[in-house]
Amino acid sequence: LIFAVMRLTKPTLFTNIPVTCEERDLPGNLFNQLMKDDPSTVKGAETLMLGEMLTLPQNFGNIFLGETFSSYISVHNDSNQVVKDILVKADLQTSSQRLNLSASSAAVAELKPDCCIDDVIHHEVKEIGTHILVCAVSYTTQTGEKMYFRKFFKFQVLKPLDVKTKFYNAETDEVFLEAQIQNITTSPMFMEKVSLEPSMMYNVAELNTVDTAGESESTFGTRTYLQPMDTRQYLYCLKPKQEFAEKAGVIKGVTVIGKLDIVWKTNLGERGRLQTSQLQRMAPGYGDVRLSLETIPDTVNLEEPFDITCKITNCSERTMDLVLEMCNTNSIHWCGVSGRQLGKLHPSSSLHLALTLLSSVQGLQSVSGLRLTDTFLKRTYEYDDIAQVCVVSSEIKQS
Amino acid sequence: SSAKDAKSTSGDDDSRDIVQQKTQEEILFHEETIDLGGDEFESEGNETVSEDSNNFVDKLNEQMMESVIISDSPNNSEDDTGELGCLQEIVDQMEAKDNQKTQAEAHKEEFLSNESETEHEETPKDISEIGTDDQASLKEDSIQEAVKEEPKLGNNVPVETKPNNVDENTPEDQMLSPSTTKPSSEAEPIPVCTIFSQANNANSQPQLFLPDGFEPQMVKSPSFSSIIETPVKYNPQVVQPSPSLSKFFGDPVNTNTLASDFFDSFTTSNFISVSNPNASSSVPEQMSSLSNGGDGSSSNPTFPVQNGRPEAGGPPSSLEITQSPKPFSQIQAVFAGSDDPFATALNMSELDRRNDAWIPSEETRNVLISVATQQYSTVFIDKENLTMPGLKFDNIQGDAVKDLMLRFLGEQAAVKRQVLNANSVEQSFVGLKQLISSKNWRAAVDLCGRLLTAHGQGYKKSGLPASHTTDSLQLWFVRLALLVKLDLFHNAEMEFEPFGNLDQPDLYYEYYPNVYPGRKGSMVPFSMRILHAELPQYLGNPQESLDRLHSMKIICAKILENLEQGLAEDGSMTNITQENRQASVQLWRSRLGRVMYSMANCLLMMKDYVLAVDAYHSVIKYYPQQEPQLLSGIGRIFLQIGDIKTAEKYFQNVEKVTHKLDGLQSQIMVLMNRAFLHLGQNNFAEAHRFFTEVLKIDSSNAVANNNAAVCLLYLGKLKDSLRQLEGMVQQDPQHYLHESVLFNLTTMYELESSRSMQKKQALLEAVAVKEGDSFNTQCLKLG
Repeated sequence: LIFAVMRLTKPTLFTNIPVTCEERDLPGNLFNQLMKDDPSTVKGAETLMLGEMLTLPQNFGNIFLGETFSSYISVHNDSNQVVKDILVKADLQTSSQRLNLSASSAAVAELKPDCCIDDVIHHEVKEIGTHILVCAVSYTTQTGEKMYFRKFFKFQVLKPLDVKTKFYNAETDEVFLEAQIQNITTSPMFMEKVSLEPSMMYNVAELNTVDTAGESESTFGTRTYLQPMDTRQYLYCLKPKQEFAEKAGVIKGVTVIGKLDIVWKTNLGERGRLQTSQLQRMAPGYGDVRLSLETIPDTVNLEEPFDITCKITNCSERTMDLVLEMCNTNSIHWCGVSGRQLGKLHPSSSLHLALTLLSSVQGLQSVSGLRLTDTFLKRTYEYDDIAQVCVVSSEIKQS
Repeated sequence: SSAKDAKSTSGDDDSRDIVQQKTQEEILFHEETIDLGGDEFESEGNETVSEDSNNFVDKLNEQMMESVIISDSPNNSEDDTGELGCLQEIVDQMEAKDNQKTQAEAHKEEFLSNESETEHEETPKDISEIGTDDQASLKEDSIQEAVKEEPKLGNNVPVETKPNNVDENTPEDQMLSPSTTKPSSEAEPIPVCTIFSQANNANSQPQLFLPDGFEPQMVKSPSFSSIIETPVKYNPQVVQPSPSLSKFFGDPVNTNTLASDFFDSFTTSNFISVSNPNASSSVPEQMSSLSNGGDGSSSNPTFPVQNGRPEAGGPPSSLEITQSPKPFSQIQAVFAGSDDPFATALNMSELDRRNDAWIPSEETRNVLISVATQQYSTVFIDKENLTMPGLKFDNIQGDAVKDLMLRFLGEQAAVKRQVLNANSVEQSFVGLKQLISSKNWRAAVDLCGRLLTAHGQGYKKSGLPASHTTDSLQLWFVRLALLVKLDLFHNAEMEFEPFGNLDQPDLYYEYYPNVYPGRKGSMVPFSMRILHAELPQYLGNPQESLDRLHSMKIICAKILENLEQGLAEDGSMTNITQENRQASVQLWRSRLGRVMYSMANCLLMMKDYVLAVDAYHSVIKYYPQQEPQLLSGIGRIFLQIGDIKTAEKYFQNVEKVTHKLDGLQSQIMVLMNRAFLHLGQNNFAEAHRFFTEVLKIDSSNAVANNNAAVCLLYLGKLKDSLRQLEGMVQQDPQHYLHESVLFNLTTMYELESSRSMQKKQALLEAVAVKEGDSFNTQCLKLG
């Protein structure tokens, strides 16, 4: 028996090199006729390079994580004897496990000369590194002799993508995720799907399309694919779900944001799919008491009072009794009484606070100088650089 | 462990960012830094470096990009990570790694020991040979691989050219008539020639270009030349036709024996539309003088062009010309009639003007104008502005099929292989066409070479002054086109090189007012320009191809604009009838379309799919009748990228377009597209069904036959697949012995059994009967 294995990557389209001439040239219409007679050209458009003829893969090629490894396994009886009880087994040995890929484990009763047993195996590759396809054949010869042989085919599985992420924490509890996906294979890659599967705490909005006239248009334009080494940047906005947003204390420390699910296709629809591990993010630490801004004008007039609204949340496990102090800085002057009592604040509850202030300096100014003191523990929390505001002279703003 | 990797790569990124900070202007291509201000970034970078040793969790809060562990494919990653999951994973993976190592070692041992007991050597398709098959010319492969292939090509060329360059006295040379051998034998003693032979030798190494050989000569200033120039070098025979040639011209009978009678075909061939009835009898004579003139020395960097004289490149020194005015005056007399401007204007046919129109560059135009205006004075033209082509290799004859037969089937079988060669056909255009149509392109290249040698542009003639005629350029075109067809791109490039950018003044008819009186435009056929522009892309320089195609596009567009404005093609004020103008617009539109086609093909080769698709769309404007084919082609491009949805959209458009026209062809196209779509969706069974559908309509459709067979293989039906392919090859070997089909067939033979060798040899025999010497034997995989 003879054993042969061939990896079935997708076939490729035959390309030809068009050489044309004109009627008045020396060869007349000879070149054009030759191209017409060539079966691999497109009839009626012979100059088109990309033909329709499929050719089988010429070498093993590369295989990448997440792709499907397909292989043809053929056992052929090259002898002139009938052999019996043929059992073909195909296993894939990876660094961590051994998988059986054979479609059927039943033995074939007999194989006549010049006949063959065919099998096409498929396996979605889930590990990087060395894989060994182990094919074993056992059979009985006519003389009753038990025969057994094995063959090994080794191949490397490579990483197709490089994914990098980056988080931005917005004031409003939203989290923005930038994900850079780089094609580190050697062929163009069509990104069929890149989505963020959020963890249970978040809702996700994909920010990779622009709505124009009711039609969503990809921010990547008509270029639907990634050339080798190209990187694409995807942007997602994650909002904590209502029930979690309320309890500000919950989103604390390292949280699981979700994972990216990536589906791509290459030559003739060869498909690959990967997911990242859970993306994690360190939620900004708010300490025991969190002060966040609800409203603030972006531009204000010089030396004119303006209002801001703050939200004060108790992130600790105990009730607090808070006193608000307002300290003026070089530019920011608070209006109103400093040292006023805000009353008791229970864990995970919050209160809104309207404050008035003015700036004496033009330009981009930082709102600073709020102090909260918990009278129970005599602990003071300082809040500086809460927000920025642009201060302009009143004449400019009016004009 | 990969987690560890992740960390270290992000660390790398940090340092890279810092590097970027330092070398501010340098933009690293892979560094898509996010829109952070430069200042911010710097502090950012510093921070991360200092914190690099801190724990992993801290890093998550930074503004830097993190490498993410791509765990596994989704099906495998149930192990959702909690807060500690990440760290656990690292540990796990590290452990796994350790286990791996030992395991892998164990496997290796197992692997080795088992290898010896199995018949390892006879598995050509063995998967363990990962990526070793560099020879494969799969176009879909990466850019990197394409680049890799380039030096590969370079390696191929010396193998083919070296022997040719070395053996100068091949039988072919001896076969040549005295008239053609004579010039070369006379050229030999001229010391200059040795320089060129050196240049040629150097040229057998692909990376060395001829200009290196030229340079020492071009340095000389024109003022020196007259001093250095010695009359000894000059060959007085220049103006006298060699005996055999004059005999030939005197004798109209077609003797059909030697290369000398190529002139016959030149004068009788219907495509030659030269032109001057007054001079008709003397044109050949003059040509012979031209071709001999080409042997003159060439150390002179400038050449006088004297309008009263027939030949520009011929007499190399002005000194010489004034010394020997006699023979020229004889010829001049013949042309006396052509001095009449009206007669010449009439001579230029409508067709010639339309086809040969081309817009030269400013510089070239100036030279041409001065040639036209300075009737009897000498125009000096820099040598580097002249075109001095010559064969760079003698003979690429050879029959790979026969060689293989000798190797595998023995001498007896090989003897049976009979193909036409350059000797077995008429030494004329007729013979040339015969060789081309019988697919003996190597022999045809050879014959072109002989005919060019007769023109004085033979082997080693590169860099020597040459005269050009419509025919010599057509011969060059055919030769170069065939070299491209044979994938001998380096050879084509070498021989193209003396032609520069095909814009030198001596490539225009205006340069030869006496040979082609009144005729205007370019001698270079448009198709040769296309070929010239396309060539670099096959040598790994598609950008150059695009540049050349763009300048062609500009000229075509300019010509069309001129026509629209009521001018002649070249912008001159010539009256053209409406009918002729229409015909001209049509011709130039189709030429512009041809240029766009090449651009699209080139962009496709560059894998710039977006631009390629745009370019194909614009081709549709010029060739509306090809719309369905082109739309299908675009659809296939999207399939290749993997964008099945867009492909489907295009295929639907094709169905809309073809809906209007019915007919077999469009029906086939629609079915074919559907099959391809199923292929893209991994549904080989359906794809097979549609390919079979096509066969019901057109049972001899090679593509459908082949593609159906390929689908069968993917469905695990090797035997059926083989049967289909074999049936098809036997049914009509004339058409189906195609490279791609045979490649598929041999691949399946290899998969099928150990007897693939015999079966391949049977294919070789079939090929030997049907195919010419241009057959690419690589697809038989017998090597």
